[in-house]
Amino acid sequence: MRNLSVLLSVAAMGAWLAASPALADYKVGFITSLSGPAATIGVPYAKGIAAAKQYMPAIGGDAVTVIQLDDGSDPAAATRDARKLVEEDKVDILIGTGTSTSSMAMASVANELKVPYIAISPIKGGPADDGNLWALGVTQPPPLMVKAVAARIVRDGVKRLAYIGYSEAWGDYVYNGAKAAEKPDGLQVVTNERYARTDTSVTAQILKIMAAQPEGVIDGGSGTQGALPLLTLAERGYKGKIYGTPALVNGDFIRVGGKAAEGILCSGGPVIVADQLPDDHYAKKIALAFRDAYQKANGAPSTDSFSPYAFDAWLLFADAAPRAKAKAAPGTPEFHAALREALFSVKDLAGTQGFYNFTPASAYGVDERALVLMRLVGGKWIYEP
Amino acid sequence: MNLDIAAILTVDGVAAGAIYVLVAIGLVLIFTVTRVIFVPFGDIAAFAALTLAALNDKRLPGTAGLVVSLAVVASLMEAYALYARGRVKTIPRALAWYLLAPLILVAVTGGLSRLDPPVFVRALMAIGLVLPVAPLLDRIVFRPIADATVLLLLIVAVALHFALVGLGLLFFGPEGVRTDPFVDASLTLGGVIISGQTMLIVGAAIVFSLALYAMFGFTLAGKALRATAMNRTGARLMGIRPARAGTLAYLAGSLMAAVSGILIAPVNTIFYDSGFLIGLKAFVGAIIGGLTSYPLTALGAVLVGMLESFAAFESSALKDVIVFSLLVPVLIWRSLLSDEAQEDVEE
Amino acid sequence: MSALSPRALAIVAIVLALAAPHLVSAFYVTLLNYIGVYALVAIGLTLLTGVAGVVSFGQAALVGIAAYATAWLTTTQGLSPWIGLGFALVSTLAAAALIGLITMRLKGHLLSLSTVAWGLAIAFCFGNVDGLGNFTGIAAIPPIYLGPISLGPSQRIYYLILAVVVAGLWLARNLLDSRVGRAMRALRGGALLVESVAVDPFRARLTAFLLAAAFAALSGWLYAHLGRFVSPSSFDAGAGIEYLMMAMIGGAASPLGGLIGAALITWAKNAIQDYLPLIAGGAAGQLEIVVFSALFILFLQRARDGVTPYLAALLPWRPAPLAPAPLLPRRALPSPGAPLLTLEHVERRFKGLIAVSDLSFEVKAVEILGLIGPNGAGKSTTFNLITGVLAPSAGAIRFLGETVTGKRQYVIARSGIARTFQHVKLRPRMSALDNVLIGAFGRLSSGVFRAALRLNRAEEASARHDAQRALERVGLGARAFDLAGQLSLGEQRLLEIARALMTDPILLVLDEPAAGLRRAEKQALADLLRDLRAEGLTILVVEHDMDFVMNLVDRLVVMDFGCKLAEGPPVAVRADARVREAYLGGVA
Repeated sequence: MRNLSVLLSVAAMGAWLAASPALADYKVGFITSLSGPAATIGVPYAKGIAAAKQYMPAIGGDAVTVIQLDDGSDPAAATRDARKLVEEDKVDILIGTGTSTSSMAMASVANELKVPYIAISPIKGGPADDGNLWALGVTQPPPLMVKAVAARIVRDGVKRLAYIGYSEAWGDYVYNGAKAAEKPDGLQVVTNERYARTDTSVTAQILKIMAAQPEGVIDGGSGTQGALPLLTLAERGYKGKIYGTPALVNGDFIRVGGKAAEGILCSGGPVIVADQLPDDHYAKKIALAFRDAYQKANGAPSTDSFSPYAFDAWLLFADAAPRAKAKAAPGTPEFHAALREALFSVKDLAGTQGFYNFTPASAYGVDERALVLMRLVGGKWIYEP
Repeated sequence: MNLDIAAILTVDGVAAGAIYVLVAIGLVLIFTVTRVIFVPFGDIAAFAALTLAALNDKRLPGTAGLVVSLAVVASLMEAYALYARGRVKTIPRALAWYLLAPLILVAVTGGLSRLDPPVFVRALMAIGLVLPVAPLLDRIVFRPIADATVLLLLIVAVALHFALVGLGLLFFGPEGVRTDPFVDASLTLGGVIISGQTMLIVGAAIVFSLALYAMFGFTLAGKALRATAMNRTGARLMGIRPARAGTLAYLAGSLMAAVSGILIAPVNTIFYDSGFLIGLKAFVGAIIGGLTSYPLTALGAVLVGMLESFAAFESSALKDVIVFSLLVPVLIWRSLLSDEAQEDVEE
Repeated sequence: MSALSPRALAIVAIVLALAAPHLVSAFYVTLLNYIGVYALVAIGLTLLTGVAGVVSFGQAALVGIAAYATAWLTTTQGLSPWIGLGFALVSTLAAAALIGLITMRLKGHLLSLSTVAWGLAIAFCFGNVDGLGNFTGIAAIPPIYLGPISLGPSQRIYYLILAVVVAGLWLARNLLDSRVGRAMRALRGGALLVESVAVDPFRARLTAFLLAAAFAALSGWLYAHLGRFVSPSSFDAGAGIEYLMMAMIGGAASPLGGLIGAALITWAKNAIQDYLPLIAGGAAGQLEIVVFSALFILFLQRARDGVTPYLAALLPWRPAPLAPAPLLPRRALPSPGAPLLTLEHVERRFKGLIAVSDLSFEVKAVEILGLIGPNGAGKSTTFNLITGVLAPSAGAIRFLGETVTGKRQYVIARSGIARTFQHVKLRPRMSALDNVLIGAFGRLSSGVFRAALRLNRAEEASARHDAQRALERVGLGARAFDLAGQLSLGEQRLLEIARALMTDPILLVLDEPAAGLRRAEKQALADLLRDLRAEGLTILVVEHDMDFVMNLVDRLVVMDFGCKLAEGPPVAVRADARVREAYLGGVA
């Protein structure tokens, strides 16, 4: 009998925990990777959301509650967390997470549970069984990220381009993007070297690259580990050009890469070089506001290109939420549908990482204006128009 | 693949292998004395590296806080255990060892960190700060279960590793660090550049291997330590204190972990979770040595480094698959070598 | 505290489980689903690690093979998840068979380390082999369909998972209480014990490994169609360790421990995720794993064997009453005086040392032969040569006319030589009856499938009845359900003899059976041996105790320095001058 009563009380507790009060305010479910290999990206995302809350704590007078969960860089955990946020906490929108793989897992859940989701890592969006897109990507599509750099690589006259990048989803993206820029008698990608985030040496890979005698090398890593190939290239006496993607644009990359990273040309969101932009650039004002809010919320200046994505996700939500609220009350499935419609009809919203225009046809809403080129000179990113 | 490339890969492999040697012989040391496969060894090495980087930035890292908390918990546990056994008089001495010594280390390091000591002193500070961690963890986590099966000790060690990784993330953040090399010189041997740092690592590996080999093979203290692992009760009957033997082994292991950490930091970018894979590959080397012989362990670790280097050249994506798959034939070879009747698993 | 019978509790648990989706919220149903999926792996692990003593860190890799197999089949080939199930089982079992054939002969720690090796190697493959979605994984896996009903929603697939888990527990329980299960349970007693009852340790371990792999395959299939998404990070080293943790927390010795461990760990992680932010604020994400590990370590420090022993203590276990059943068939025993075991010029060297030199003697059927000699004479080595623990360096050993030189222990055991051990080798936590039943391995025939589905009841009933008879034979009939570890040394020696008798031997080889026995116990033992001889059994006794031996045996063989010193009836041997000199150091 005692065992039975224990069981029943556990079940009751579970049911109680499951009940949640209905609020008129907004609830945001935010999943990020605060631990695990993707923490180098996930932690900045969390800081970005903190900056966004600092910048805009309320939307149209309504308070916003953020429930933040850590997925530990594991897509299965991201899936479970997403379900938890929707089924238990009854959030109005999902935002997250640190890796593309986990973000795509969240997108599946969003499609299944019919909840709008803003992905802050690049995803391949696909519609749900009702034909609608429920997942929105705030980032520039990876092919676009690489295209911006690739265009410059071709302009620089590089014919032989070597690739080294992560042996994971992000690495695949950059490689595919580079490959897409190939031309029959122009640019050729001559190597497809990979390394893991946890590797300590890429000598073998670099040796192969040197043997292929490239004129340029494009680095498909991120953060501090993105510096590893460059360090080894410098050791081996490589003197050619180096290119990168927004994933390399952060302070720790500069710190670890040091001299070896000097001169790298990366594509990136405008926010990084906000103060060097011309005054009439769409991103200047909002980017500076972001920097300010970030400093206030996190006590240190922003040096990475990840946190602005989270900030922009907030901006998108803030733009769409009041329009959706006019049609349905927050906390209801009708609100989810209304919010989805509102998100996919965002027009001309200036963000830190792009100029957003969404249509129901596509999960991405940015164009070439979302990327600028910047070169690392003397430890600082210099805008190269 | 030509001779030039092979030479470069060999140097690279030996350099990586030397790091694995340091970690591997430390693992073997702790295992031969306490029967614990000390998985967090790599994490402590990573802590040392991260601590050094923090000291370079003139910050007192979270390691200090960790040591203080561990010291307090360990002292409480030891004091209570002594009190329960009626040996109240020995409590002050225990406190001196478990509480004062670590606190003094932290205080000295804390004081020095405000000044701007030279690189060498900072390295010593980093070692000093990390040194108490393993013995204190031994007291808190392993001493209560010292007579458990090897499997239980291994699982607990793995749980401890997870905890240390989590703490590392908390103290040091997710980004990696790379410190400046201690030695800037480099040597050119047969057309291949060998950096001074690599030579330092190889040198340290050789020195430690020989030292441990000599101590365990030829001194009484070493044999006493080995006796404790083989039979705790028997060792106690011979007047050896297993608890003290364990503490000594962990202290020596901690020292080697710290040294390997600060030696790797200029060569590789160290993250809060770098320790695991380094420890794992070093462990493969230790297996080749049968978890008993230091020279073979050193050889095995170097072999793993070389294998990794060459496998990465063949297929960078599958290099880990190759390294770990080749462990199986090694195990089979080891199993054929060992003739002893299978140890009865305790119920 | 009323005495709840296990059966009543099981019924209550199942009723609650069936009602659960209506009692708890949708998220908790998802949590229960994952608990069920993880529990399957953990149950397999309790069989492999807890029972058979093989610590496996690589189960996550096997789960991954199954998950990827069905994911690939149902997405790229568009086939039904049920075909995916078959494909997943076949792939995983094939991989496990290959791995097992290579590694199950490894000894001790090396076997566990090999699981780390292949677990990591396979896990690294998932992300690197093309066609499996690389690191993005495979998404949009279709749900399982039961006819027209889709098991996509959590509440529906819950019932499938519940059914599989309950079935898994039932099958595991049946297995443990069978011929195959007892062979696995004997493995932890060491190779010598296992081989002495005609069990091939390699095959027993391989069986346990394949069973655990089957459980892992089921789990992988369900996992893929539950989460509808697979990626390499779910099957890495960390996952493998977590499964092991689940088995250990729950109590690795019992399949139920797997379920309990999975439930506890999943629930704990969820609870920590919910409540830690209230205490630790922003640092909660990083601290989750620290808190979880600290709790885990604390738990293991207090309760090394996990949760199930505590539960078992609360629930009284009433043994099944023994119904009369036909006895198992027995071998025909040879006629008295015929040569049974012959040693011809047997020699055994250990590098430079000659332990046994040019030893020849014969054991005739239906006699008691004593093998005696001073310390270091080579008696134990001879014993090991006869039972197959060691192979002779030269010479031949024949049993019933067949050469057994160099054959494996378990082959020799199966041909009719049963042995006991100088240091008693029993399974202390199994009942006396179960210990004796281990000996029946060679006489029974049901394999894994018949055992799992309980089709072996007739055979089991006969075996149990036979075992009870054997216990009564040695005088332990009343102690059948006591744990072997609770018996006195004398009783344990008798228990070993009962087990040896259970193998239906022709020759019984006893290693110092009287050592450590009191006078009355020695009398009883001698009486028993004489009775056994009267029934047609032949007995070879290696002994130190002169009194015991002289009054018991028909003939004696005396060894010294590895050679045969004298042979003959006790009276003659006792008077032999050379024997006296060897024992007493001079002419008495």
